[in-house]
Amino acid sequence: MILREFNSAGVEAFRMRLADCRENPAASAPWELLENESLTNIISPAVEVDAKHFASKLDAGKHLKDLLFKLDEQFVATSDGLWTWLALFFFDEICPAKGGHRHVKADYRYIFDPNTPRHYYQHSLFVSWRVITIEPNFNRLLLRANLATVDKVTAETMKRLYLTRIPCIFEVLERLYWDSARGRARKGIVTHGRAKPGDLLHRFPIRIRQLEMTYDLQSLNADQLIELLGNEFRQNRPAPVATDN
Amino acid sequence: MIKRVNFTGRRRIARHHVRIEVHNGRPATFNATIDLDGVQFPAGAKVYLELMSAGSSLVKRFDFGAAGAIVPPEDRRLTNLDPDRAFFALKVVDQSKRFGQILGIAENIRPDFADGEKDAATQGILPIVEAELGQQLWDIDFGEHNLCLRVNANVPGLVDRARWDPLFYAVVFPAVIRQVLDRAIRTNAEVDEASDKWPVLWLRFGKQLHPEQVTPPSGQEADEDRDDWIEAVVDAFCAKHALKDAFLKHLPRENGVES
Repeated sequence: MILREFNSAGVEAFRMRLADCRENPAASAPWELLENESLTNIISPAVEVDAKHFASKLDAGKHLKDLLFKLDEQFVATSDGLWTWLALFFFDEICPAKGGHRHVKADYRYIFDPNTPRHYYQHSLFVSWRVITIEPNFNRLLLRANLATVDKVTAETMKRLYLTRIPCIFEVLERLYWDSARGRARKGIVTHGRAKPGDLLHRFPIRIRQLEMTYDLQSLNADQLIELLGNEFRQNRPAPVATDN
Repeated sequence: MIKRVNFTGRRRIARHHVRIEVHNGRPATFNATIDLDGVQFPAGAKVYLELMSAGSSLVKRFDFGAAGAIVPPEDRRLTNLDPDRAFFALKVVDQSKRFGQILGIAENIRPDFADGEKDAATQGILPIVEAELGQQLWDIDFGEHNLCLRVNANVPGLVDRARWDPLFYAVVFPAVIRQVLDRAIRTNAEVDEASDKWPVLWLRFGKQLHPEQVTPPSGQEADEDRDDWIEAVVDAFCAKHALKDAFLKHLPRENGVES
C-alpha cells in the first residue's frame, strides 16, 4: 500500500471508530479508512508500506526510520495525520486482538497529538521512531518493551524535554539504569513513593536541573555527565563481573 | 521570606544584548546581533546560540566565536524546527576547564520576524486554544516555556466564549490563576529574572495585581504563605474585573429572562 496521511476529517473518522471499538471490542478495525480518498492524502514522495510484525519498539523504530527516511524530518516529527494513519495501518501490532477482542486504550495512543507534552510520547509508533532517530545506539532502556505498552521508564524520560535535549542522555541512562544480567531496566528506578538515591523517577531529573544551572550539558560526553551526577548515581552502575582466578 | 541565592556564579545576560530576526523561507534563516559590551566575560569564553522549538527535543547549536571576537556562523538555517515555535538561548561558556561552565545566559529569547507577520512575543500571558479534551471543558497545558488555556474543540464557539462570556471566564479564570500561580511559585522563578518564561511573566502579573504589590513567596515557603499570596491576587483580579457583577448581569439573558 502507498503511504498516506489522514486529513482532519480522517483523524476524526478514526477517532469515532476507536470509540466504537471500545463499545464493541469484537468490532473489526476500520481498515476501509486507509485508502478513503476523501479522508486521506498520498504522501509525497511516494513510499510503499507493507504489513509487518514488530517484536519490540526497537524493531518498530528501525523499520519506521527506514520507511520514512525520504521524508522531511520536521514533517514526520509533527504530522498528526501521518502517525494516525500509520497507527491504523499497524493497528494489529499496537492494539492486537486477543480472543477476537481488542482493548482500545486512550485516543492519544493511536491519534498523534504533537502539541501536547503529556500525550505525544504515548503514541507507540511515534515514540519508537523518535527515540531511534535521536539515539540510534543507546536505546535499549526505552525500546525493549513491546509496542502495545508505554512503560514507565519511557514515560518518565520522554515527558521531560529538557532531558531529551541533552545529546548524551540516552547513553547515560542506559549506563546507569540498564541491567544487563536481566536484560531490562534495573529494579526500583521508577517506583513511586519515597525518592531513592540515584533513582530515575525522582533524583535524576532534579540532579540534571541542578547541573544545567552551572554546566554546559550540551558539550558533555556520557563519561563527564556521569561523573558530574555524583556518587549517589554511581551505585546504580553494575558492579564489575567477578572472575575466578 | 526566604532569600534565594545564586551559587552558580553565572550571570543573567539582559535581553537587550541580543536581537534575533528570522527570515521566512525554505528553510527559514536567522540573523543575530550579539553585543556583550558592558558585560565582563573572559575574551576567550565561547559564545553559543542554541535554537529550540517548543515540543521538540532537537537542539541546534550555533557557534558565534568567543566573547572577545563574536563571529556569526555561515550556516544559520532553521532546518527541522518550526520557526513559529522557535526560541533561542544565548550561552557564554568557559571551556578552559574540564567541564564547560556557563558564565552567562539569556534564555527563552523569542525572535522577531523580518516580514512582520508573526511575533510570538506579542502574545498575551494566557493564549486560548482549542484541543481535544474528551469530556473536559478546559484545562491548562503547561509547556516548558509557554502555557495555554485549552478549551474543548468539540463545543462550538467555546474558544470565543472563553474571551467574552462572563459565564465562562468569571468561573474559570480565577481557578486558572490559582493553578498557574501555584505552579509558577513552585518553579522558584524570580519576578526580576530577564526571562519570558511563563512562571516569570505570571509572577510579575501576580505581583502587579497584589493589593500591596508583595513579591511572591518562594517555593520553599509554607503552604499557607503561598496560599495567602495567591488568594490576595485572585481576589484583586475578581475585584478589578467585577466578575460577580458581570456574571449576574449575564445570567438572566442566558436563562431567557430579561432583566
